Amino acid sequence: MQGALTSRGLWVCALAAAALALPLLISSGFVIDIFIRILLFALIGVAWNLMGGYAKQLSLGHAAYFGLGAYTSTILLIRFGVSPWIGMLAGGAVAMLASLPIGALCFRLRGPYFAIATIAIAQGLMLLFLKFRDFAWGAEGTTIPNLGQAPLMMQFESKAPYYYILLALLAVGLAITWRIERSWMGYYLVAVGEDEDAAEAVGVDSLLIKRNIYLLSAFLTALAGTFYVQYIYFIDPNTAFSFNVSVEAALVSIVGGIGALWGPVIGAVLLEATSALLQSWLGGGHGGVQLSVYSLILITVILWRPSGLIGVLTDAYGRVVRATAAYAQKAPLDG
Amino acid sequence: MLTTIVQAVVNGLLIGGIYALVSIGVTLIFGVVKIVNFAQGEFVMIGMYISYFLAARFGVDPLISLFVSMPLLFVIGVLLQHFLIRRVLALGDMPQIFLTFALSLLLVNMALLLFTADYRTVQTPYSETAIHLGGLYVPIAKLIAFAVAMMLSGLLGVFLRITDLGKAMRAAAQSRDVAMLMGINPDRVFGIAVGVALALAGAAGSLLMPFYPVYPLVGQVFVLMAFVAVVLGTLGNVTGALLASLMMGVAESLGIQFVGADSGLIVVFAMLLLTLAIRPKGLFGGWSR
Amino acid sequence: MAEALVIRNLSRRFGGLRAVQDLSFAVNEGETVALIGPNGAGKTTSFNLITGYYRPDAGSALAFGRELVGLRPHDICAHGLARTFQVARPFGKMTVLANVMTGAFLRDRRLDAARAQAHKAIDFVGLSAKADTAARDLTTIDQRRLELARALATQPRLLLLDEVMAGLNPAEIDQAVALIGKLSQRGLTILIVEHVMRAIMAVARHIVVLDHGLKIAEGAPKEVVQNRDVIRAYLGTAYAQVSSAGGSRC
Repeated sequence: MQGALTSRGLWVCALAAAALALPLLISSGFVIDIFIRILLFALIGVAWNLMGGYAKQLSLGHAAYFGLGAYTSTILLIRFGVSPWIGMLAGGAVAMLASLPIGALCFRLRGPYFAIATIAIAQGLMLLFLKFRDFAWGAEGTTIPNLGQAPLMMQFESKAPYYYILLALLAVGLAITWRIERSWMGYYLVAVGEDEDAAEAVGVDSLLIKRNIYLLSAFLTALAGTFYVQYIYFIDPNTAFSFNVSVEAALVSIVGGIGALWGPVIGAVLLEATSALLQSWLGGGHGGVQLSVYSLILITVILWRPSGLIGVLTDAYGRVVRATAAYAQKAPLDG
Repeated sequence: MLTTIVQAVVNGLLIGGIYALVSIGVTLIFGVVKIVNFAQGEFVMIGMYISYFLAARFGVDPLISLFVSMPLLFVIGVLLQHFLIRRVLALGDMPQIFLTFALSLLLVNMALLLFTADYRTVQTPYSETAIHLGGLYVPIAKLIAFAVAMMLSGLLGVFLRITDLGKAMRAAAQSRDVAMLMGINPDRVFGIAVGVALALAGAAGSLLMPFYPVYPLVGQVFVLMAFVAVVLGTLGNVTGALLASLMMGVAESLGIQFVGADSGLIVVFAMLLLTLAIRPKGLFGGWSR
Repeated sequence: MAEALVIRNLSRRFGGLRAVQDLSFAVNEGETVALIGPNGAGKTTSFNLITGYYRPDAGSALAFGRELVGLRPHDICAHGLARTFQVARPFGKMTVLANVMTGAFLRDRRLDAARAQAHKAIDFVGLSAKADTAARDLTTIDQRRLELARALATQPRLLLLDEVMAGLNPAEIDQAVALIGKLSQRGLTILIVEHVMRAIMAVARHIVVLDHGLKIAEGAPKEVVQNRDVIRAYLGTAYAQVSSAGGSRC
């Protein structure tokens, strides 16, 4: 048992080192962009996974919080000159506040109808922002002023700083998930996800748990939203509340490993790498290819390994470990 | 003023008939197979494309193409149940939701790839004509659609109540285990349920073609209405879905008439939120805590 | 002796069906009371009413002096009532230990304390060897043991057991009876729904009999078993007439 723990720790350290060194080794802006997209969807996925993976509250409307985060920081930036660093936290707070009434309404529905309600909410928000010109620029959206190198306003001339910010946010998300997994809250989350009524019978306040994890999930997703605006210097309702964001938030966890710590990361790597490959093979013109491929991947995973590909990886890893252990044990007898 | 309201109500009822076909399909699958078919709208789209191509290539009137789209979609439904849905029935909520969801994504995007995002329409002799009933303007195409939709709904109701197969479906909906003990083969029953639901979706598609354009995302509009109607009419309740769909149609139409052209979606959301807040189990809701 | 549970005029209907009608009875602290009756008598519904899963249309349920009606199930559990379900509902994904720890966290949120508490409960029901098995991989009977351990981990004062003996062979029934006996010795108040007469006669001090939602008899086991209305409810009028000719054995 001890050996496994340390070897896990070693893997994480190796991964962290590789992740930190990456921008130093890669000069192509295009490739860094791919990794930034991977980190972005890993972060959104980690946020989604807390709710959808552990507590099985399958939201398909997380774009609502992505958009709220993005718009809050942008409005504060453009209308009040507030730094996006603060705007990011404000966006998180707005998302948390929004998650309270949304949760109160949606948690009344179980399973698929919860999902549908969340889709409706995200769509509703998009409609709202499409209509509101007064404080949120309506359908055309807005760009944010390019300040060149302005670290205090979360703008940089090269891509590497963006990469590191996102890496830090992802690390925070993973750390939070890791801590929760190991605490009473983690047990309560899985209990609610497995059988809400049975959980109540042993003293789990399922409504409170769902509410709290939703707060956290919304907060983290909103941070990703702010980051995205700062990265692409543009926002409009279709981008901010995009259904694609909601879909990918869920997809990376489901494909990678639902309810598993590293699931969203694995899923993000797979899906974004696939997406990048598709783009380079086919160019931009073929609308529908990316999502077609995503949906085929999803169907395959659901039919073959419903708990996600992380099971495949741990199985493979386990087989390698056992094989090497067996080999190590054989050697003394032979030699 | 009264004429305007009545006109809006009539408009709403007419389109409500189409919503009913879609929502009855969703509620039927949910009631019998216990999964939510996120892809129901895409089967409406498929029905529409079938009718479109039959009209464009062979000059077949969309109403005639009902006799092609319905059986074809029935078969697709049976196959869908047998090869995909059956495999996730024992797996729980998540795989079930995401399977039909992935299917929906796949179908929309394949349609995008194959047919591009262009809007396509079919012109029939009656596409633009209407009858005038005491100051009311009733488009023929929509009237036919409504009439056929109501007829199909009625036939389904009779089927469920009177035939053995229909009763078997209702039995399986109430309790799969007991139904199995009674010798009912759940897979066969599920297959028929999905087949019928998809056939209704296909019918909706063919009926829409004379007055509505087809494009890859067309299903999403109707399915959203359908889902809200299903929740409002209580999950699994076919009559509820029918009535709720008509209500939604009327509400949407009144909204468009008196609030604004794109208020339709807002009305939908408002109805969903109201339902969730006040009567989450729908109008015909069962036992609450 | 203090009353652990006082049920007064509890009623609940589902549409036209009156599942529980005007039910009243009391359970004294430390006592084991059995709730019996033919299928559909309203026993599990009563459990669901008491533990907060259904709201009663009328009536009250006082546990250790506090009104339970209107409380949510987790509050009722926190107040000291633990229940098992007729069909075991384990958290399939989690191990036996994790399942029971989930129950233990109610009283102490620290990991090591919960783990210790959980191990005690697991040892008590005899699942120690399977502590690290995933709950969904257990046999049905072990899942029932798990259900009991999980309920015990919440350190209840009143335990509601719903047909824990169903499907057990005589040896297993004896084991279960022994466990219940031990729990009773520790002072735990127990309300048990059962069909297995042998177990009821062994553990129950007092029996309440339901039929069609109504209480038709109540009293010490020996009396209840000879009660004509009870026999009629289970076996029909003919047997009731036969028994009146001279005691009956169940």
